[in-house]
Amino acid sequence: MATPILQMQNICKTLSGKEILRSVSLDINRGELKVLIGPSGAGKSTFLQCINYLLTPEHGQIVLEGNIVDTASKKELYSYRQQVGMIFQDFNLFDHLTALDNVAIALRKVKGMSKKEALDIAHKELDRVGLSDKGNLYPAELSGGQKQRVAIARALAMEPKVLLLDEPTSALDPELVGEVLSVIRDLAKEGLTMIMATHQMDFARALADEIVFMQQGEIIERGSPASLLKEGSGTRTADFCNKLSDMCEEID
Amino acid sequence: MLRTTRVLMLALGLVLMFGTGAFAEKTYINGIDANYPPFAYVDKNGEPAGFDVDSLNWIAKKLGFKVVHKPMEWSTIVQSVLSNKIDMVYSGMSITPERAAKVNFSDPYYTVASVYAAKKGSGLTVDKIQHDKVRLGVQSGTPQVEWLKEHMGKENWNFTLKFYDSAPLAFQDVMNGRIQAVAMDAAPVNDAIGRGLPLAVIDTFGDHDDFGVAINKDNAELLELINKGIKMLKADPYWEVLKEKHLKGNDH
Amino acid sequence: MLEQLAVVLDALPYILQGALVTLGIVGGAMSLGLVMGIPMAVGLVYGPRFVRFILGIYVWFFRGVPILTLMFLFYFGIFDLLGLNLSALSATAIVLGMTSAAYQSQIFRGSIEALPQGQLKASRALGMSDMQGVCSIILPQALRLSIPGWSNEFSIILKDSALAYVVGAMDMFTRTHFVASRTYEHLTLFITAGAIYFIITMVGVKLLLTLEKKVRIPGYTT
Repeated sequence: MATPILQMQNICKTLSGKEILRSVSLDINRGELKVLIGPSGAGKSTFLQCINYLLTPEHGQIVLEGNIVDTASKKELYSYRQQVGMIFQDFNLFDHLTALDNVAIALRKVKGMSKKEALDIAHKELDRVGLSDKGNLYPAELSGGQKQRVAIARALAMEPKVLLLDEPTSALDPELVGEVLSVIRDLAKEGLTMIMATHQMDFARALADEIVFMQQGEIIERGSPASLLKEGSGTRTADFCNKLSDMCEEID
Repeated sequence: MLRTTRVLMLALGLVLMFGTGAFAEKTYINGIDANYPPFAYVDKNGEPAGFDVDSLNWIAKKLGFKVVHKPMEWSTIVQSVLSNKIDMVYSGMSITPERAAKVNFSDPYYTVASVYAAKKGSGLTVDKIQHDKVRLGVQSGTPQVEWLKEHMGKENWNFTLKFYDSAPLAFQDVMNGRIQAVAMDAAPVNDAIGRGLPLAVIDTFGDHDDFGVAINKDNAELLELINKGIKMLKADPYWEVLKEKHLKGNDH
Repeated sequence: MLEQLAVVLDALPYILQGALVTLGIVGGAMSLGLVMGIPMAVGLVYGPRFVRFILGIYVWFFRGVPILTLMFLFYFGIFDLLGLNLSALSATAIVLGMTSAAYQSQIFRGSIEALPQGQLKASRALGMSDMQGVCSIILPQALRLSIPGWSNEFSIILKDSALAYVVGAMDMFTRTHFVASRTYEHLTLFITAGAIYFIITMVGVKLLLTLEKKVRIPGYTT
């Protein structure tokens, strides 16, 4: 059996005295989509940020393609982060740059490309997320869904081996969720390896290779959508999902 | 001609801007109080002028050195001599024990009386000034201040001292009534009267004031040079010409 | 009235030369304050504890001590000890510049802290070093936000530049005083100088406003 592309081993993280992650381990194979679900405060977002060291875990290590990531070396850390892209809940587009420059800037600064090379790639990536006509607009001129698609294009331009998505649709108006999910769906079909925290259960059910249910800083259950979400399976995952859909109905 | 003047002014400016070290051989910097007519001020063309300026220029020419007159803040001018920012103060400086403790003084070159002055027709007398509650203007850092402070305590004088940066500022306040009288060197008072200000000298007071040139104690050579120059100047007919030009009405 | 006008017209070239000196001091001080203030602000926000501590002391010192005291301290003390034979003009510009650095660092720090946290995070996630993130993501945004505060600082330094007189720099204020001492037209001359200060402030602020509009990000509000 091939080694997993990315392995998280015994990740522990404490934030302001509170234990957020209690020794979480997770492997992911090339081309898989794993979906993290769980109540807010479960540690999903912290876990994702620990995976690419935006937060530094106190314990545990991460192994990319069989090599342990040595965070003591800045160079290795920066190169690792290029290979593991990140999509944030609130987009975090660079507000002073156009959509094109948002995609191009890291290519130029990190990969040392010329302006022309970088813009060529930026055009391609924006095209890929269906925004080829919005390249010259600034973030403040884009809708939430468009912003998130630019953010995805920006991450993809770095050609990451793994893409982490931290609730990419939860800051969006409901009518804009679809366009972002459809981009992610395409990526999954193309075989991009992804770990995604989300409350979009229909999406998870349809596309996830594995659902990982987290609660209070631990992985409680994991398994295929079919086995975890089966009617009457009695899993906590199914229970949580029922509550979630009840809540949605109440809101609706 | 105009062109030469400009070039000279530029050169002068450069010397002033880039400090005093460049032409140390033959050029001396004289710090002046340009707010102290008739001894030193700036004329219509912005050039230093006055009795002291003309005197030193004459001496410099006779003894073969160059001199640059640099307008300075009076209250820190002794400090500027001490830190060698200027070589001397040839600018109506009274010889006082406090100053003489810090710098050398040349032989006295001019004696000036201290006077009370008020607006023309004020009806003030020395007695009234000293015993009524008069507001009396003085220039900070002059020997008159010391003398008045010393005597007002001993003799129960009732005036209040008001301090000014320059004599002309004090005259302004006499004109607009903020103070009733001034106590200072006769020379600036007479100069102001000569320029049409409706002031009147009431009487002299205190000791006569001797003006001398202040020079850094480390610079015995310059002291000798200036003393020699002053002696020559006073023996020359030009001395009378200068007094006629600048100090009309001051001799006693 | 006519007489006073004649005095002013006569003195105007001399006073305007002083305006150039004043502008030189202000330009020098603002530039020095900018060059020092930006890295200081970055250090204050992102630096390790001891860097923040040292910068904090710097800011506290220069904000707390009157500029007049600083001028004496540096002109007659520190610059002499260091063997720097500075002209009154450069000394004034440097002292005002170092003071302005303390204030400007606070302007920039405020702007950096007003930016969303996620900006630097996003740059890190793309593999940029913190230095790259700060230089190409944080500062371009923070400097835009700083322009209003900066134009405020400009008008303050312009007025502080009149303190140049204590070390004998021939700025506009000093020259005006000289002319007044000769002509006894204090009020008229200082009103004239005041008007020139006012015009310089107005032009400066207007220019900065134009700059602010020019670099404004379309649709962006904070």
